[in-house]
Amino acid sequence: MANHEYLTEYDGIVKAMQLYLDGSKQGRSELMRPAFHPDASFFGYAGDQLANGTQFLFDWIDKNGPAPAIEHRIVSVDILESIAVVRLEVGGWSGKLAGSGVHMSDLFTLLKMPTGWKIIQKAFHWSA
Amino acid sequence: MFTRNTPQKILESWKQIAGYLERSERTVRRWEACEGLPVHRRGHEKQDTVFAYRHEIDVWSRSRTKCPGAELIDDAEGLPPVKSANNAYLVEHDAITRTMHCYIAGARAGDSNLMHAAFYPWATISGFCQGVEYSGSVKHVFDWITENGPAPNIEPRFARIEIIETIAVVHLEVQHWSGKLAGANARASDVFTLLRRNGEWKITHKLFHWHDQ
Repeated sequence: MANHEYLTEYDGIVKAMQLYLDGSKQGRSELMRPAFHPDASFFGYAGDQLANGTQFLFDWIDKNGPAPAIEHRIVSVDILESIAVVRLEVGGWSGKLAGSGVHMSDLFTLLKMPTGWKIIQKAFHWSA
Repeated sequence: MFTRNTPQKILESWKQIAGYLERSERTVRRWEACEGLPVHRRGHEKQDTVFAYRHEIDVWSRSRTKCPGAELIDDAEGLPPVKSANNAYLVEHDAITRTMHCYIAGARAGDSNLMHAAFYPWATISGFCQGVEYSGSVKHVFDWITENGPAPNIEPRFARIEIIETIAVVHLEVQHWSGKLAGANARASDVFTLLRRNGEWKITHKLFHWHDQ
């Protein structure tokens, strides 16, 4: 992959991540939905409960409401031609469901579609 | 044939099977679950009452020694058990590797039954293969593996195993794929996501890139 191609792919991936972060910060799932593939999956433990399915995620984001203090770091972006893995660390979660001062470790996998990079799965580990 | 199955040719418990193969009971139980070790169960008795025919074990054993990946993990098991208090990371890492070897064993044999135990029933897959998108249930993987048939020369490499408490990502590079669907000498990059649930690591998602030849 030539350098400029890599950068184009990287930027496409980060753009999808930004939609997820914007939706999380504002508590509006409609902002992040376009970043997800229609068959995307979602899972992880919230306390003892296993959260499963993107609908769970979108409902949770809407019910949680704004989380204005979210701060994120991109830990890694690995691109393997048509697929990618992104690890995000997101601190400062707050809101009706999140409580306060919560930290989330996220693993996103993405698939390159004709319409751009789409999140195919989000897995998370939640530390309260 | 009948006389060969006299009682002395039968191994009557996990302990005897493990002793015959010179491995731990835990290892031979995993071989049954993941790699098709031929173990039989007696009807009308509790599920753990098992027996095995030596000649079947021998045949299985001979076919299995062709599998280099399987030997790597068995070597790891031959080491003294990891003290979990000090080496929690190694315990989790090894458990993930064992799950991945179920997938590899099924892929090599062209038998999806060998890999069922590695996946959650609700697992999904995505990726493009020769221009066709395969996104949806893990059933796509099982169907593909069965239709593809044996791929005896596949060579897996673990490019990355990253564990974050209850979730993990595994990047597997597999070369020398063959079979009815794979063609010859094909290469795949796979990214698996796993979840630890009830003390077990299983795959929730397989994302793949199929390299054009």
